Amino acid sequence: MHRLLDVLASGVHDTKNQLFYAESQIAEAEAKHGLDLSEARYAIETAAVRLTRTLTAYHLLRNDATLAVVPVVVADLCDEVVLDQRRHLAHSGIELVHNCSVQDEWPLDRDLITDVLNNAVQNAGRHARSRVRLTAWNEGDGLHFRVEDDGPGYADPDGGRSTGLIVAERVASLHERQGRCGSMHLANGGEFGGAVFELRLP
Amino acid sequence: MPIDYKNKRFLVVDDQPLARESLRAIAQTAGAFSVDFAPGYQDAIFKIRNNCPDVVLCDYILGEGRSGQQLLEELRRFNLLPDETIFMMVTGEQSYEQVVAAVELVPDDYIIKPFSPDKLMLRLEKVAAKKEFFAGFYREKRKQEYEKALAILAAKKETEAGRAYRFETLRQEAEVHLAAGNAEQAEAAYRGILEKYEFPWARAGVAKSLHHQNRLTEARAEIEKVVTSNTQYFDAADIKANICMAQGEHEEAQKTLDAVAKKTPRNYLRKRLLAEAAELNGDTETARAAMADVVANDTMPGAVSTEDQLTLARTHVGAGDLIAAEKVLVLMRESEVMNLELAQQASYSALLAVASPEKGRKKFAGLRPALIASPLSTVSRVDVLRAALAVDDRELADGQARELMSGEDAKKVFGSVRKLYALQGRENDFREIQRQVAMQRIHHEE
Repeated sequence: MHRLLDVLASGVHDTKNQLFYAESQIAEAEAKHGLDLSEARYAIETAAVRLTRTLTAYHLLRNDATLAVVPVVVADLCDEVVLDQRRHLAHSGIELVHNCSVQDEWPLDRDLITDVLNNAVQNAGRHARSRVRLTAWNEGDGLHFRVEDDGPGYADPDGGRSTGLIVAERVASLHERQGRCGSMHLANGGEFGGAVFELRLP
Repeated sequence: MPIDYKNKRFLVVDDQPLARESLRAIAQTAGAFSVDFAPGYQDAIFKIRNNCPDVVLCDYILGEGRSGQQLLEELRRFNLLPDETIFMMVTGEQSYEQVVAAVELVPDDYIIKPFSPDKLMLRLEKVAAKKEFFAGFYREKRKQEYEKALAILAAKKETEAGRAYRFETLRQEAEVHLAAGNAEQAEAAYRGILEKYEFPWARAGVAKSLHHQNRLTEARAEIEKVVTSNTQYFDAADIKANICMAQGEHEEAQKTLDAVAKKTPRNYLRKRLLAEAAELNGDTETARAAMADVVANDTMPGAVSTEDQLTLARTHVGAGDLIAAEKVLVLMRESEVMNLELAQQASYSALLAVASPEKGRKKFAGLRPALIASPLSTVSRVDVLRAALAVDDRELADGQARELMSGEDAKKVFGSVRKLYALQGRENDFREIQRQVAMQRIHHEE
């Protein structure tokens, strides 16, 4: 079984190198000819992220995923999600705003949490009419992230979940600290009246 | 804080031409002034040593059994990376995160492919801001002005900007305490981190601090927790092996190192440690092979030290191959030997006296007064003991044995010393020395 996984991981690795080459060539062409091909680059990065997420989901569903927890500057993480998504959302006329009031470092799996938030922002962007907001704050002794939009909201916040949401839920619950676990919450309403995705980490 | 890339020099380290080209294009689009390449480990060290770039973008997998992590460790080991240089690991897969989460020695940052020029710039700016925050501290730490370094950290910790680097500040504090020899304060600092989160490197830090306090059983219990739950954390195995050796559990030390040395065949610091453990464990062949590998293949200029040559000779002596031992010792340059410190001179002449009596015994005899009067390192004392037993200088031998058995490394070298006495049929004399040392200790404690 593990041999099979090694084969898959190595294939993903090679593919990502190819995708990186494509992105670098596009970036260079943009700079040289004054073009904006950011949507093409976004598509490439999204493809790479999907590959990684597929492997992550596989591990999570087999219950053999382990986190790589490092101290992360929460504001930097939010900046990165905004950098990844803002331009793409702007192309569809959606504005991404963010508000991070956490100044501290937090122990979390940077890459997995970034992916979960990117996915949440992408989902929100698909359903939003004009606005998506990413917020991060401290509450009690936990770290909270919220992604909300002004779309129609979840059809059933307690209903069936997409792969992305299953990944998000598992990733949250794997974050454990002094006996407390992280969690994911879905709701409708919020300040924008649409879907509200929330991640709480201990 | 935007960085001016107009005059920044990048070095791209990657063994794959396509990946190198990708990194070049991204760095140049991000505004790099110049981008140089190193296709492999050796070229990277050569280029960084001769003309250190501002930013190193290094792929995690470098081919030929080398990794970017190893390159980073080697650069730090030889102090080749100035604090101002940004070392960014580039990786195509998630597995490197597991490494970063566990180990002590981490790059300034790591970034997962593919990424845009914007993302690279964002990351570099964050790293530069962090370096700026710690700049004064790094300067003092590098000068080994530990008090001043700690004072800077204490002042910075309370600032608004310091909140973003809370863990890093605690970690640096712990490391400085350890470097300054304040093992108890280091332990407290690491425990402070663990109260917030169970980081493997902090748990390993506790183990190391306990080892420095000679609280070996506790140290062992702490490091076992780390080793069993972090298979990627090879340095933890080194720490465990050192603790095991101090406890006299040489077989476990060797077993632990054997396993990780196989996964990191070109880590020569670990090979040295393996040689030490194997020698103490009586596995002279493994010790010999490991040291021969170190001397032949640790190719960094200055990496193979006099101490290494002496260790190689020692492993030959241990294996009974006196001709090989003599060859190593005789090939050491005259000037090198002349400039040795007393402990190394003691080892040199003692090993030569055993390997080649006609060449070595005179010099060994000449050093005798100094050997009796001066403090020596543990390893040199064992060498002197071996030679003294061989020439039947009982006073010198027994004096060294007493020092060893009453010193901090008593458990570590107990087996070796007993064996040396046994080879001369003097087990009873050794038992008597042990008894005297024990009596003396009881006397002291009363």
